[in-house]
Amino acid sequence: MRVVSQTVVPCDITDEFTKAASKLRTGQLVKDEYFTLFEAVGALEIMDSKMDSGYLGPGENHAQALEDDYDTMRELAPEEVVGIMDELLCHEMAWHIGHPLSQTLFTSLYLDKLLWPVPNTFEEAHFGRPRNAMNQESPAIVHLVLRAYCLGLVKCCDFVHARVSGEYFYEEEDFVTQLYNRSLLSQFDQQPFIQLLDRAIMWIEDRNNQLDDKIREAIQCRLVMRRDLLLGFEQDMEILETRMSAHFTSCVSQLPALAKSISLGKSVPESFSLKIQRKLASTVPPRPMVKISPEDALAHLKRLCQDAVDVLDILNYRGPHNLKVAIWSLLSRKPQPSVYIRSLVQSVIVNNMTVLGVVPVKQFLYDELAEIVLPASALLRANTDEIEMPSDPRFQIAQHMDAFVKRFAQPFVDTFRSACLNRCRIRRTVCHTIVDWDNLQMEAEDLDEQLRTLNNEPPLVLQNGDTTYSYPLSSWTYHQKLNQFRLIIQMGFELSIYSPEELPGMYWYLSHICSTHLGHIDRIRTFTVSTAKRNLASLAGEKLEALERHAALQKSLRLLERLTTQLVAVDALAISLHALYVLLVRHELLPLASSAQAYSSERLRYELRMKPFIPITLPELVPFEEYRREAMLEGDSDEVVLERATKAISEARKAWETTLNDGAFARDPDGQSDQTTAIEEDWKRDVKDIMRACIGASIAIGTVKKALAAHKGTNNGKDMERLNLRVSIAEPGSKSRWHDWWAVPQILQTGTELTT
Amino acid sequence: MNENQAVQYLESMIGQTLRIHATDTRIFVGNFKCTDAARNIILGQTYEYRFPTPSAVHDAAVETEKQESESSRVASPNLKVNMTSRFIGLVVVPGQHITKIELEETPQQIRVREALRKQ
Repeated sequence: MRVVSQTVVPCDITDEFTKAASKLRTGQLVKDEYFTLFEAVGALEIMDSKMDSGYLGPGENHAQALEDDYDTMRELAPEEVVGIMDELLCHEMAWHIGHPLSQTLFTSLYLDKLLWPVPNTFEEAHFGRPRNAMNQESPAIVHLVLRAYCLGLVKCCDFVHARVSGEYFYEEEDFVTQLYNRSLLSQFDQQPFIQLLDRAIMWIEDRNNQLDDKIREAIQCRLVMRRDLLLGFEQDMEILETRMSAHFTSCVSQLPALAKSISLGKSVPESFSLKIQRKLASTVPPRPMVKISPEDALAHLKRLCQDAVDVLDILNYRGPHNLKVAIWSLLSRKPQPSVYIRSLVQSVIVNNMTVLGVVPVKQFLYDELAEIVLPASALLRANTDEIEMPSDPRFQIAQHMDAFVKRFAQPFVDTFRSACLNRCRIRRTVCHTIVDWDNLQMEAEDLDEQLRTLNNEPPLVLQNGDTTYSYPLSSWTYHQKLNQFRLIIQMGFELSIYSPEELPGMYWYLSHICSTHLGHIDRIRTFTVSTAKRNLASLAGEKLEALERHAALQKSLRLLERLTTQLVAVDALAISLHALYVLLVRHELLPLASSAQAYSSERLRYELRMKPFIPITLPELVPFEEYRREAMLEGDSDEVVLERATKAISEARKAWETTLNDGAFARDPDGQSDQTTAIEEDWKRDVKDIMRACIGASIAIGTVKKALAAHKGTNNGKDMERLNLRVSIAEPGSKSRWHDWWAVPQILQTGTELTT
Repeated sequence: MNENQAVQYLESMIGQTLRIHATDTRIFVGNFKCTDAARNIILGQTYEYRFPTPSAVHDAAVETEKQESESSRVASPNLKVNMTSRFIGLVVVPGQHITKIELEETPQQIRVREALRKQ
């Protein structure tokens, strides 16, 4: 509502205004100096049918402008009730998928009756407004059953709306939160909604001799589904305590019956109207109703419930490494889990500075440090609560570590949360945060130097006699940063960012980052091994403390081993694809995206791809000339390159095999192997897809090898002729692209060579 | 009124709240942003007002009658029904669709304007 002071007086200025305006020259504007023409373009043109949602078409009179002839009090056949419920469900899912309410649920005249004007009491939200009495419940199929369903649906939307708008999401990209000055009944507690649904379910159960069994069951399963869904949404965060998702599970179990009975429904198209858009507070032009099929709606609902159930699997906290694997596997499902699920996962990951509802953020960060760089370290035990003497080094260590936590906890938790964004935004976000991590690394280095003296860290003597220190915090930060480098490159493949001519270079760069990372992990390992050696001495005394330390060190070494295996696997496959693409480029077989006259050049493309990495100090940017030499394997003959591809692909297949056997999660060797979860299955499927990509790559390499051999045999020295091969690269999402992160070319022989 | 005075007059309106009546009886109330020779008017933060529908008027009449019979007052020949309104943001009302332009003023503003005119 516009707020107006009571005393304003309108004064007719039509004549003066018109006269003044007529004195202006054509094209001359009188405008607010802060108002730009750019803004003016966004103004809705009144009386233009395409822009003005309040415009009445020719033949539409004023009486019909806002009101539909549809009578929401009319009796409905049970089939019509089913039809309306299903149509509403389609609209609801369309909203979940990202369409605005004005084009979906807010086209329903039944919902409009319930929601506008805003009801003051729960009872007031009924279909007979404003004329009929409140408590009319006859015919019950409309005023009890359909009303219960509609109100339950609105409350479901209310919970979803609250969950999504409380987390990171992108308006209009993921979801539209606009409510057009309506309320989704958030003023009411969920209790009366459930009670009403229960009453409706009971009523329909009692109608066993009045209604046909099939239609009765159809209505019943819809009401039960709605109640389950409402309870599921309402208690979505309670899984942190209950570790149960019975409501969503039960909702899924209703869906087969629901799908089967869709055909029983009779649609009532008159009960949906675009005219309602004329009443909605909206700054956008009128837009058409969104229709999605009941099959698509049910598929979306089923995935949503299933994903909600599987969120349980990430709650079992077994360290940050395992948590990251679980979150990534869940959120990399195809199609990507809906925005509601992604928001829920964000809330679950961290809420009130607590991870998964049980681990304080500081502990979470310490667990990560203990896993990677500081197993059983005194640095993580220091605590200002226990040592209160400021001169004590342990006190000072604790202070430094607190400063570290203060700076690093949030960015670290954000690396988990960013996985919940939509896929394009994940990459974009990491491109931004990687710069922060570069700065963090420098800060960590300062802390490391101060901690080293406080902690009396013994230096490590290298083979050449130099000494070096572990720099644990900055090492860990660098490890994080390299992870992000790899993610940016690999998501580039998934999002089809690179043109075909960039593929050799990008796979080279991926392998370059992997080998840098492998070297870095080796460095971390060296220090852990030397700590373990020192610990062996005290282990002889069978001190309990030393035993514990030993276990922690071994655990960390196992994780480093696991990370190494995976990096080797990625590296080998990247090397192999790099070599294969180099051959394709040399023989001009690679399909090109840019024409010969294009402005783009190799140097410009490289500059563009390296843009996120330019501000990064470590790892250093590879100069273009060096990149070109490396990426094109200059100086290596075809045979050498082919050999490189063949060797790497067999190594890749072995490494991915090992990765698969190691399983998704790092486990204690004596730890019980709990049953495999749905998320673990997702992870396995993903690795198996990569293994398929490996097989695809080795077939492609084999085809090129054969063609090269044949080519060499036929033309004696005339190497101008082209190989008879046709190359295509499947787009992500298509069946022949085995894995989104691995663009394996498909290479086909094109008949016999035509020689003249 | 020459061009200078015209511009001056229109500029004095910038930022004021205008009520623009359109040919289809709707009224747009918003903050005056811009106009041109064709009297196209851009309003910001606009609300659209529409006359109540006959059925809304009917409902209101029934309601009043009920209240009046309860309080046994004499039926009045007049009935007050609110116009329906909604927020629609930034709009441009084309000159040819404008039937009336009103300026919203407080009594104070009126006094100031009158005083200025006398000078």
